[in-house]
Amino acid sequence: MKPISSPPSARNKARSPVHCGAGALVRGRPIAARACVLLLLSAAALCETRPRYGGTLRVQIRESVTTPEPPQTGPLAELTSAFTVSQWDPGRRAVYSADDNAPGGRPFLDTVEVQMGRPLRDQSIDLNLGRADLVELDPGDPQRPQSGRRVWSSAPVRLLALVFSPRVDDARIREALALSVDRTSIHTVLMQRQGEIAAGLLPQWLSGYSFVFQTATDVSKARALASAASGSRTLSLGVADPANRRIADRIALNARDAGLTVIPSAIPNPDVRLLEARIVFLDPALALASVAAALGLPQPSRADSPEALYLAERGLLEGYRVIPLLHLPDVYGVSPRVRGGPGITPGGEWRFESLWVEGRP
Amino acid sequence: MTLRIRLLLIFTVAVAAAVGVVEWSVTLNTREAFERTETQRVNALVAQFQQEYDRRKQEIVQAVTRIAESPEATDIAISASPADYYRVAERLAATNGLELLELVDGDGVIISSAEWPARFGYKEDWLTGDTDWKSLGAFLKREELQDKVTLSLVAVAVTTAGDRKLYVVGGQQLDSQFLSSLVLPEGMRALLYRNLDSGFDASQLLTAGSTPPSHALRSLIEQVLREKRPLTATLGQGAAAEVFHAQPLPGYRDNLLGVFLIGSSRKELVELESSLLRVGVFVAAAGILLSILLSWWATARVTRPVRNLAESAAKVAAGNWNTTVADTPSSDEIGLLARAFNRMTGQLVDQRERLVQAERVAAWRELARRLAHELKNPLFPLQITVENMQRAREAFPDQFDEVFRESSQTLLAEISNLKQIIGRFSDFAKMPPPDMQTVDFNQLASSTLKLFEAQLAQARIRPRIELDPHLRPVQADPEQMTRALRNLLLNAIDAMPEGGELTVRTMAIPGGVRLEVSDTGQGLTPEECARLFTPYYTTKTHGTGLGLAIVQSVVSDHNGRISVESAPGKGATFRIELG
Repeated sequence: MKPISSPPSARNKARSPVHCGAGALVRGRPIAARACVLLLLSAAALCETRPRYGGTLRVQIRESVTTPEPPQTGPLAELTSAFTVSQWDPGRRAVYSADDNAPGGRPFLDTVEVQMGRPLRDQSIDLNLGRADLVELDPGDPQRPQSGRRVWSSAPVRLLALVFSPRVDDARIREALALSVDRTSIHTVLMQRQGEIAAGLLPQWLSGYSFVFQTATDVSKARALASAASGSRTLSLGVADPANRRIADRIALNARDAGLTVIPSAIPNPDVRLLEARIVFLDPALALASVAAALGLPQPSRADSPEALYLAERGLLEGYRVIPLLHLPDVYGVSPRVRGGPGITPGGEWRFESLWVEGRP
Repeated sequence: MTLRIRLLLIFTVAVAAAVGVVEWSVTLNTREAFERTETQRVNALVAQFQQEYDRRKQEIVQAVTRIAESPEATDIAISASPADYYRVAERLAATNGLELLELVDGDGVIISSAEWPARFGYKEDWLTGDTDWKSLGAFLKREELQDKVTLSLVAVAVTTAGDRKLYVVGGQQLDSQFLSSLVLPEGMRALLYRNLDSGFDASQLLTAGSTPPSHALRSLIEQVLREKRPLTATLGQGAAAEVFHAQPLPGYRDNLLGVFLIGSSRKELVELESSLLRVGVFVAAAGILLSILLSWWATARVTRPVRNLAESAAKVAAGNWNTTVADTPSSDEIGLLARAFNRMTGQLVDQRERLVQAERVAAWRELARRLAHELKNPLFPLQITVENMQRAREAFPDQFDEVFRESSQTLLAEISNLKQIIGRFSDFAKMPPPDMQTVDFNQLASSTLKLFEAQLAQARIRPRIELDPHLRPVQADPEQMTRALRNLLLNAIDAMPEGGELTVRTMAIPGGVRLEVSDTGQGLTPEECARLFTPYYTTKTHGTGLGLAIVQSVVSDHNGRISVESAPGKGATFRIELG
């Protein structure tokens, strides 16, 4: 699990007056001048770090929530603990206003403006151009350090997995594909080491036993299984999210080594789909159940112990109906004008009530 | 066929043949000139393609070298984390105008691939040999992409940083777009066959425009791949025919990876030939028409005197001897002929007049001889009788009455004979025109023959009659025809003094009747047959020689025809045919 990064500029700037003060004492310059400089620096630092009310936080996300009413789950729903929905344009835009009667007190921000359905590339551009304050980042996009730009990451809370259609009934085909996928390369290169390689449905930080599941590739065995399979060795791979297209292409390339022809496409009912499932519960059993539901798997039996949970998860993985690939974090790029935070919890929840913004957008 | 038509045809054929020869000659020369030009065009295009090909190779080498020499390439080469650069190739390819770009580490492992980004981590073993990539330049390579296999023109540059290497492999696909970039003259097209798999694959035949005729090109391509040398072939027929020049494109290991084809349509040539043919046909038609008109006029000039001569000769043949040809002033053969013709007809007229005069004199002499002969025979008994009467009166007066009575009878008989002779001459002289009536010749023949029964019996001649029951009545003068038949019967009786057989025969002929009278007498010689119908000609010791002349006159007045068939000793058959 990658630790959640704190805003580095804020940390550095918060430390700077202490550093300056210590330096002044050591060097022993005249007191008045030193005091004056110290006071000015302290004032400046305080002005920069002191929360201030007002302003709008501009957020962009890929997802288009098209429900007529604001959602009751997910990040947007989490905003309602300190904000109230003042404008809802399904699939396009939402505006949340500060709730003066929030349990933790009124948030610093006046409003949070969320633009939905924004592609990752456009989000990144908008962040660089100062048109957005908080955007999602492609985990696989190599992060080049830019002045003042910060990155907030959650724990790996998204499962990326291949899920077979019921019509692919030959387990040898499914196992051949599972054995052919080179997860390490995907993790190292395409995901730039973000998240972690997954062979189980729950991440290691949540279950504690994920390492037990096998992630190594075995191309020769995969080829043998594929050649022994009776059905078609051509599979259509549905990729709903264009951001995952590169992963799908790599899977297709790996599958070719095993003698399978995997064709990434956007057809409505493919043989196998590349899906994401979010871990929304911190309770492993609930998380497993929710993931299974999200992937269309049968509900696991209730598990009261880690052993039972392991058995339940192994039961879901048997037969290779689902092939876990990676557990990925939520990664956000943050504008330099955003202060406070981090606004993302390890579970990937939005916590904007402690944020404020500097300057004019 | 008249002389004029014949001349006209000769002139027309001569003109048409001349125009045809000219047309053929022009077409042949045009085709040769076009094919020379065509060869030059194809050679120029092949040179242009080669130039363009070399330019592309140079551009690719420059782009790849530029990337390899960039600081970024050095960074990648020395980087401990090549995964950070897996998307670099796409950007570098785009900024350097390359379709294909792969960055490969010193072990041959792909760090980044522009054409197939997912291929990072895979090996390109062919790179790690000891090939001198710099001197090799750009070369053809079979390139496997994510969704297809293609033919590419690539170059390799190597970045060396310490003991680390980075291979930069970049290039462009040779595809329809590449062909589209070639500037081709009108009527020419470029095709590219990518020899990516064993055996001919029609889908690998690319063109910038229309669908190539792969089935027609297959044998040419296969021959080039087999013989590994440029070849030229003409495919198709007529306006669809196309000349293809095939240029083999080798890879860097001397393997033949492609065949470049330049097609030059023969449509232009065929259209030119068609145009020439149309013009030729038009000129020929106009020439022929003009030649017909000129020939018509010329032949008219040439044949008019000949025609006049022919017409005049026809008139002469018809009996109009007093015919001349209009005076022809020309001094050529026709003029000489015309003048000779006029002299000939003049002489003919003179000779005819002299002949007529002579014949008239001869006829009068013959008539006088006949009259003298015919009249002398009865006159001699008259003279004897009168002299007897005189002598009886003087010497035997008592017997004079008896002598007178007998002499009177003799005188009357001879006078009657004289009258008969004079009557025959009178009848021949005043032959009336026929009074046409419907006549049944069977009945006419029977009734006329019956009149001669006694005479025939006395002459010991057996009459025989053969009548055609299908004989149809014809228009004729029954009295004249009866007279004609009687004359023929009398003639036949006279021809058989020793008796014999006389046959009267009727026969239906198309459109008329035939009447034949045959005897079994001594027959006639051919000379006698020829003169038989001449008036006053007879082979007998008695008679006027007018009988058969009267028969001929009657038949002629009926627009009929009379003939005789005879041979000496075999009798004779006289035949009358009336229509």
